[in-house]
Amino acid sequence: MTARADLLQGSLDLLILKTLDLEPLHGWAISKRIQLLSRGALEVNQGSLYPALYRLRDRGLVASEQGESEEGRRVKVYTLTRKGRQALERERESWRLFSGAVEAILATG
Amino acid sequence: MGGWRWFERRLQILFGRDGAEREMDEEIRYHIERETQLNLAAGMSPAEARRRALVDFGGVERHKEQVRDVRGARILDDLVQDARVALRGFLKEPSFTLAVLLTLGLGIGGNIAMFAILQTSFFQALPYPGSERLVLGRVTWNGQVGETVSGPDYFDYRERATSLEELGAFTPFVLRSTLTGEGEPDRVAAILASPGYFAALGVDPVLGRTFTPDEGERDGPAVVVISHGLWERRFGGDPAVLGRAATINGTPYTIVGVMPAGFRLAVDTDVWLPMQRGGPWAQARQFHNFVLVGRLAEGVTVTRAQEDVDRISASLAESYPDTNRNKGLALTPLHDALVERYETTLLTLMAAVAVLLLIACGNVAGLLLARGSARRSELAVRSVIGAGRARLARQLITENAVLAVGAAGVGLALATWIQRGILAFVSLERLGPVEPRLSLAAVGFALSLSAFSVMVFGVLPAVRVARSDPASELRGGARTAGSRVGTRVRSALVVAQVALTAVLLAASGLLLRSFDELRSVELGFDPSDLLTASVQIGAMKYPDPASRTDFFRVLAERLRAAPGVEAAAFVTHVPVRNPGGNVRVDLPERFGTSGVFGQLADQRSVLPGYFATMGIPLMAGRDVAYTDAPDDPRVIVLGASLAAAIFAGDDPVGRTVGVDAGEEEPVVLEVVGVVGDVVTGHPANGARYAMYVPYTQRAGTSMGLVVRARGDMASASATVRQALREMDPDVPLAEVGTLDGEVDRVLSSNKAIAVVLTLFATTALLLAAVGLYGVLAYQVARRQHEIGIRMALGAGLRSVVASVVWGGLRLVAVGLILGIPLALWASRLVQEMLFSVGATDPVTYAGVAAFLAAVATVACLIPGYRAARVDPVEAFRRE
Repeated sequence: MTARADLLQGSLDLLILKTLDLEPLHGWAISKRIQLLSRGALEVNQGSLYPALYRLRDRGLVASEQGESEEGRRVKVYTLTRKGRQALERERESWRLFSGAVEAILATG
Repeated sequence: MGGWRWFERRLQILFGRDGAEREMDEEIRYHIERETQLNLAAGMSPAEARRRALVDFGGVERHKEQVRDVRGARILDDLVQDARVALRGFLKEPSFTLAVLLTLGLGIGGNIAMFAILQTSFFQALPYPGSERLVLGRVTWNGQVGETVSGPDYFDYRERATSLEELGAFTPFVLRSTLTGEGEPDRVAAILASPGYFAALGVDPVLGRTFTPDEGERDGPAVVVISHGLWERRFGGDPAVLGRAATINGTPYTIVGVMPAGFRLAVDTDVWLPMQRGGPWAQARQFHNFVLVGRLAEGVTVTRAQEDVDRISASLAESYPDTNRNKGLALTPLHDALVERYETTLLTLMAAVAVLLLIACGNVAGLLLARGSARRSELAVRSVIGAGRARLARQLITENAVLAVGAAGVGLALATWIQRGILAFVSLERLGPVEPRLSLAAVGFALSLSAFSVMVFGVLPAVRVARSDPASELRGGARTAGSRVGTRVRSALVVAQVALTAVLLAASGLLLRSFDELRSVELGFDPSDLLTASVQIGAMKYPDPASRTDFFRVLAERLRAAPGVEAAAFVTHVPVRNPGGNVRVDLPERFGTSGVFGQLADQRSVLPGYFATMGIPLMAGRDVAYTDAPDDPRVIVLGASLAAAIFAGDDPVGRTVGVDAGEEEPVVLEVVGVVGDVVTGHPANGARYAMYVPYTQRAGTSMGLVVRARGDMASASATVRQALREMDPDVPLAEVGTLDGEVDRVLSSNKAIAVVLTLFATTALLLAAVGLYGVLAYQVARRQHEIGIRMALGAGLRSVVASVVWGGLRLVAVGLILGIPLALWASRLVQEMLFSVGATDPVTYAGVAAFLAAVATVACLIPGYRAARVDPVEAFRRE
């Protein structure tokens, strides 16, 4: 593994929402998926994943239901709600704005 | 997420901890398993693979905690933890905890007890259907509410009042009677009641019926309704009791009904005899023997009904000016009327326990403040190592909540006992038995009181901690500005306690002085060594005055001859024990000339030797004699002040007086003697006009016995019993007691309130003394350094003690300056319970101030001497 970036405060929520936008997943799979999609650059602090998930669920952005894992175990599977999808759009917008701004600053001089 | 699901989730968070926790456990376990598998696949050993997975996860418990925090369960956890810490803390300081719990528990217990009594007596509906429509009718004289209404007036009101659905009458006193036939003679309590009495109250008998209207007419059938108690006691609860005969005072009555258990109004009775138009106790408009109970017609207010009866009163006054001028009838809602006699007592006691609680709170506040100061450095340390201020304040509040719940528990536990104690002293007989009990409302009351008292004083230190600066706290130790504020607050508390204690002491002092005055009222006879009893002979067995006189004469002679008996005699009304029985008396020629006439005087019929036995002085003329034969001209002995009122200083012996007998013409009697005045009823009423006629000329069947005994009263009463059995085994002996005991009994309610209030005041005094002591002891402990310096500089022992004592007495003085005016103001509450002592009695207030100061001085001396024992070297070394 090469350089790893720490997750910016608040960006974990965005990543979870994005991951679930593709398909419903259980907790462990979410952490693996984020790792995979970032090509290993982003390592989700595994323990902080669950508080984030519960927080999102309490805010009604994701929903959980009993599902099956790849090897057939009963696990809790998280899906994105309609509210979650809207939130993802908003978050994505503001992230773009934010990262664009940071890029712009870094690009000078 | 819908509103309901959101709510459900919150509930789950709060209560469904187990489910949520399990869910979380599973999820995390699954996560770690998968990681372990990955690690295994990467070639690690099983142990290493698992360790690695756990490390990567970063501390399972910590994350669980985070999850919980996110989910708001943290607050609950903290609460439980704080409560646990608080409990542990309290257990480590048992004397502090015990002091707080007992002080507060006592105060709260007293309040719950009184609250429950008030609730039962003031707010509980009376046990009659539709009782809110019931009114009590009492006579008024010139607008002043009296008690009893005359029989003929009652019938007029009943027949003419349109606003009343029903109006009944009953005697508010019981007639002690003898029940014979079938078995042992039995003493029973009887009252007269009209048919309307049962109808107005709306209570049905459990067996048979109540009186029919014709049974309330003159010479109606002799029927009787009996109480549930008598039915079970004497008739074994036999349903066939109806129609059976019960001989009461020699007259046979037929039992027609049995009332339900607990049925009563104002007085307890065993039997109800029909009140008959023009019959006994109801012959004439000037004989007032009945209290009325009415049921308002549907939709009629008390005010309208009052206007209705006022019209009737006016027309009666016009028709019968001699008897009904200035006379009226007052209707009062029944519940109010029954409670009014206790209102002052109960409200006074409620106010007293409330004040007591305030004083107790003062001590608890002092204790909490002292504990708060002692813990300041602990709290400062905790705040330095990262506890949030809100978190610390929350912990303090939790601690106080634990105390509050504990104190409420102690209070509830004590309340029933306190209530039993109060009810044992303060009887509420007009309301019927008030069971000691606690309602849900009382429990709620306890909890809110407790929470309020603890929170107010517990939050104070919490606020101070939240404001305090930990660094200066840690540097300065106990000697910081904060604790000086604490001392000031505690001093203020002591001042308040002293002031409130002065109020309670003054109230109890006034009542004690009043009771003392009552005890020392000149009775007009010597009550010591006087045995009394009542004797009722059968009217059939002793039909005429001659046989009755013989019976009592022989009995008196035999008693006088018995060992241990000095004198014995009979009287219809034993002084103090049997009040009442008054009629109008005046010069015969004044009768019929001027409407309302003469003097109301208590009339008694006596056997010769009565005055000598009682120790009532004969001031002129002679005693009644057996030679005053029934057919001779009638004679009378007058009490001294009555004689003076009628004859205005002339010698009354040999003159005549007229006594109202409810007939056209008065009965004319010759005055043969004058005797000293006596107290015939409650000592508070003082000596009343009294007159005595010879039993030989007015021979009833019921007499009171008075025996002047030497020595043991028990053996004297055995002698009396023996003598009576020999005379006639069918005659029961009842109400055996001593006159001293009788005086105590009638004064018992005056004594009760004085005693209970004195107990409260003493408790208050103790609490205030402890509070004062606490403040001074704390000050001395803090001033050791200074005291040490002063002593090193040569201050004498006396000046050190004096400085401490003066410091304390200054607080007491301020407390008294505030308290005495407060007590003067509050004494209005007890004013109407006072006898011959003014509510502003200077002796009492001076005594209160002196007593308080004396107790306070003792409380100050202890810390004072402790201060004097300070060793200067020791005090410096400690610095």
